[in-house]
Amino acid sequence: MGLITYVVRRLILLVPVLLGVSMLVFALTMFFPPTVRALLYVTSEKALTPENLKNVINQYHLNDPFYVQYFTWLTQVLQGNLGWSKVGRMPVTNAIIGRFPATFEIIVFAAPIIIFLGIYLGIQSAVYRDKMVDHVSRTASIIGWSLPSFWLGLILLAVFYGYLGWFGPGRISSDVADFINSSGQFTRYTGLYILDGILNGQLWVSWDAFKHVILPATVIVVIDIALIVRVSRSSMLEALGKGYVIAARAKGLTKKEVVNKHARRNALIPVITLSGLLVGGLLTGVTITETVFAFGGLGSWAAQSAQQLDMPSVLGFAMFSAIVFVITNLIVDVLYAYIDPRIRLV
Amino acid sequence: MTARSRWEEFKVSMQPRIKEWKFMFRRMRESPLSVLGLSIIFGFAALAVLAPVLAPANPQDPFLIPQDTEIYKVSPVPSPPSLQHLFGTTGDHYDIYYACIWGTITAFRVGITTVGISLVIGVIVGVSAAYYGGPADEILMRFTDVIIAFPGLILAMALVIALPDVLFLDISLMLTIILGITMLFAILSRAKTKMTLTVLTIFVATLTLTLVYPLMLRLPMNRLDKVLIALWLIGWPSFARVIRGEVLRVKNEDYIEAARASGASDIRIVMKHILPNGVYPLLIMASLDIGAIVLTAAALSFLGLGAPPNFADWGQIIERSRNWISRQEFLANAHVFIIPGIFIFVFVLGWNLLGDAVRDVLDPTLRRK
Repeated sequence: MGLITYVVRRLILLVPVLLGVSMLVFALTMFFPPTVRALLYVTSEKALTPENLKNVINQYHLNDPFYVQYFTWLTQVLQGNLGWSKVGRMPVTNAIIGRFPATFEIIVFAAPIIIFLGIYLGIQSAVYRDKMVDHVSRTASIIGWSLPSFWLGLILLAVFYGYLGWFGPGRISSDVADFINSSGQFTRYTGLYILDGILNGQLWVSWDAFKHVILPATVIVVIDIALIVRVSRSSMLEALGKGYVIAARAKGLTKKEVVNKHARRNALIPVITLSGLLVGGLLTGVTITETVFAFGGLGSWAAQSAQQLDMPSVLGFAMFSAIVFVITNLIVDVLYAYIDPRIRLV
Repeated sequence: MTARSRWEEFKVSMQPRIKEWKFMFRRMRESPLSVLGLSIIFGFAALAVLAPVLAPANPQDPFLIPQDTEIYKVSPVPSPPSLQHLFGTTGDHYDIYYACIWGTITAFRVGITTVGISLVIGVIVGVSAAYYGGPADEILMRFTDVIIAFPGLILAMALVIALPDVLFLDISLMLTIILGITMLFAILSRAKTKMTLTVLTIFVATLTLTLVYPLMLRLPMNRLDKVLIALWLIGWPSFARVIRGEVLRVKNEDYIEAARASGASDIRIVMKHILPNGVYPLLIMASLDIGAIVLTAAALSFLGLGAPPNFADWGQIIERSRNWISRQEFLANAHVFIIPGIFIFVFVLGWNLLGDAVRDVLDPTLRRK
């Protein structure tokens, strides 16, 4: 019962944050002339003629004070219309739904590796503090954390595509794309090509899609694993210094037993929080990696929109990210209380 | 009280802090990684200072990369490293060596100003939220949440494209707002009546000035300025959160109570008692943040939203290689992105190593064991 009230309360608190986000987003649009802002209200390509835009400007009072405009826009958004995406050539909502699977596909591969390998390395370097393992894993993770993601991506492309010719950029090879789009034998059940390939019984499509996921996923793992290694190391060090760990050692348990049973469980709590936030961040934040690999996910679409001054898309993406962020936060908090019985949410 | 005895007094009061710093430096000297980090940063600082010697400045504007039009004629194909162009040139023959050397100054400028300004905004917001608590805390922190809820890069992108080319700043209005906030604080913190009255008088004076004769400032902004503003605006919330936590931690300690009981004003308590105790986590964050900010700025440049083309900036050079990714020349022209990338990477690595080392030294749960 307590949990449900807590979640409901948090969801209610979500409203002011989202309102704030929408105000901020809307404030940014006020820098633009009405003809650009009119795109926020358009729902089809036919409506893009000059006269029609003029109508839109009149209809939505785009020359009125900003607070009037904000409320007309907000009602639009609440009805699910985020405007017309010039880059995606479809309504923003559809563009977000259509591109999400691509991003999701990368995350599905990258996130488990980041979390499990990161925790393993972090705990190893805490247990063997100032030993070889510690130095190597810390140095490696600092190096990864300092790498510009686009640079790493370009180098991987130069080696594995330019030199070795193993993996190419994009989500799938062009012949596979032809097969998917025009053969009529391929149904997009989920939008995740690897899964769709299996569901369609076309394993070679899955294989091709998998090959294209490897490089972007590698970039994300190399760069983001540092966070998990760092936090799990320091929280494990803290746990190892606690009284109950020393007591467990003193009563004669082996080091392995103490590490695995006493220290690790407690050390994992902050790591789990961080992992949740990290995955949430990745769902909206692989912009650069997607752009380098021309992966066609949410992030690269947002970047492209920003470059082409496609305000509705950028705003739609910003709203989407804010919602994802707030919901991940909520999930993490709930998870936190579930794992650590000392924490009471209510 | 004579000046000398005051100095003695100051020395005595600083004694524990000096001891602390000495301990810190000793610990840092012991760790090879932090020494490496420091030397990287000093190396880059030397590069920045010696830039005019290493690469004679472009007479038009030192931050514009000279274009070698006479020898090669302008062609879209980059040329490989040669004696004349140590690191080769990009397409259209911009010298990469020059860009890398002068890009160091750009990187320092972006990193340090951004962190400095984010730190100041963050401290002001975080301290006021935590110290006054209640509705002030709620409003300020919800606002912080809003900014954190955005993915930083996208917000920066949106800001860079949304900011106008010429910014009109109403100086007198800004002054009025700043004075108004100061006045509010003075009243809230029960400052001396004389001070409050002075501030009030100036406030009324500027307010009339704003209404009668507004002082407008016309600021032309290039793309790098927009990037800087965008980075300031996305940088401060994390600082605000951390400093808020720190202030909440020390706020109810006995020595704060003692200071308040002895009649210290709010500002004095914050500056003298609270900030010095909460400043270390901020320093670590700032060091780690410089690296992250330089990476974000480079990423913006890479997306074509950063420094203007031909501006000496590392990320901007890399952007020039983006268009050939799916082509044959990609591998042959790898030097265009590899060399500036090494600069970005080593620069960021230096700050991260330093931040990591400082954290290990300062973290009370890890040190002295």
